[in-house]
Amino acid sequence: MPRLFFREAIARAIGEEMDRDPRVILMGQDIAAHGGSYAETRGLFERFGAARVRNTPVAEAVTVGMAAGAAAAGLRPLAFITYVDFLMLGLDPLVNYAAKLRFKSAGQLTAPMVVKATAGAKGQGPTHAQSLDSWFMNVPGLTVLAPSTAGDAYGLLKSAMRASDPVVYIDHKRLFPLGGIVPETEELIPVGSAAVRREGRHVTLVAHSYMSVVSLDAAKHLAAEGIESDVIDLRSLWPIDWDTLAASCRRTGHALFIEEGQEVCGVGTELAFGLQERVAGLRVARLGARRAPVSASPVLEAHMIPDAKRIAQCARDLLRRHGSVPTEQR
Amino acid sequence: MIRKLVIPKELGESIEVRLLDWVKTEGELVNTGDAVLEFETDKAIVLVTAAQAGALRRCFFDAGDWMKPGDVAAWLSDQPDEPLPARGDSAGETLEVTFDVT
Repeated sequence: MPRLFFREAIARAIGEEMDRDPRVILMGQDIAAHGGSYAETRGLFERFGAARVRNTPVAEAVTVGMAAGAAAAGLRPLAFITYVDFLMLGLDPLVNYAAKLRFKSAGQLTAPMVVKATAGAKGQGPTHAQSLDSWFMNVPGLTVLAPSTAGDAYGLLKSAMRASDPVVYIDHKRLFPLGGIVPETEELIPVGSAAVRREGRHVTLVAHSYMSVVSLDAAKHLAAEGIESDVIDLRSLWPIDWDTLAASCRRTGHALFIEEGQEVCGVGTELAFGLQERVAGLRVARLGARRAPVSASPVLEAHMIPDAKRIAQCARDLLRRHGSVPTEQR
Repeated sequence: MIRKLVIPKELGESIEVRLLDWVKTEGELVNTGDAVLEFETDKAIVLVTAAQAGALRRCFFDAGDWMKPGDVAAWLSDQPDEPLPARGDSAGETLEVTFDVT
């Protein structure tokens, strides 16, 4: 199977979907001749032309609004938001129009559109590096997807582009410099399916997007101490794959939820509550960014975002608090 | 002296690059300022140019291969006929190179 850059997996998914469905159009800043802020639309303008690959001005409210209108009128737009922070400007058309359209019109109108945004801290500071994933989970009518590998980016984006209602699809900046295996032939990843990245019996580490990569690193540190972790990559933040999560939690009895966004009203908080309803006696902990805006200082950024060391320490503390550290480690 | 051509760690730790192609071939002489290889990051094409002369002796990756910062991509020697160490030896000094990013 071919190994591709993260951006190449995205370009391949989009190109295949545009070949398949003439209703798919792209809208976003610098996506046409420039090839995208992350080079993830390289070649698509040349291949599909200016009518289907459209540059937009620096006006996110307009971009998302036009995408929602185009979707309601029968197209399948994919709108690019370079930094998820600026999706705030497009929340009115996304939340008040697109997400509610099916409900408000009793199913007579729908908005099958994808808003593809890029999140995460990589030196861009307070207003270009946030992780706002849990905001979108809160909105009825939105599907929320966030891959952590090139293969998942390919499979999830294709599913997103075929969905019948609006999808927020979020990439992380730190995933772009990585390569990954992408299936040779077309393979969609169903919405609502988490991936078990590593199996272990003592604790379940639940993460998504780039934090899945960091959590796998933490799991290696823990394994060296005799603590074996299940690492679950959510992939789909809404709908949530409760079955996969609950099965793991029943086995380990302990779950640590890791995210790059804020803990308060965060992804982990929602999952911990939902899983405690499903798994009797589950012991939980959560780890997110420290409560401050993302800093432009690399030192402060690293201090506030979870890293493998902090994740491993949180997992140790969770087990220790409940007297569950594997006996050989006590 | 045997010198190693190292993919620069300044690119960052969490990054992979793909070798586009060698500009020089094994056994070829490299003058100061000659391009030796070209690789691709997620955003840029990087042309690696020798900042000192030597002979390209062993290439450890093929076009299309994935490399990481810190990987030794090749061995060069000051004299074209110097005996090479066994593969896996951390041979010699790091070759001085410059990087042209487009």
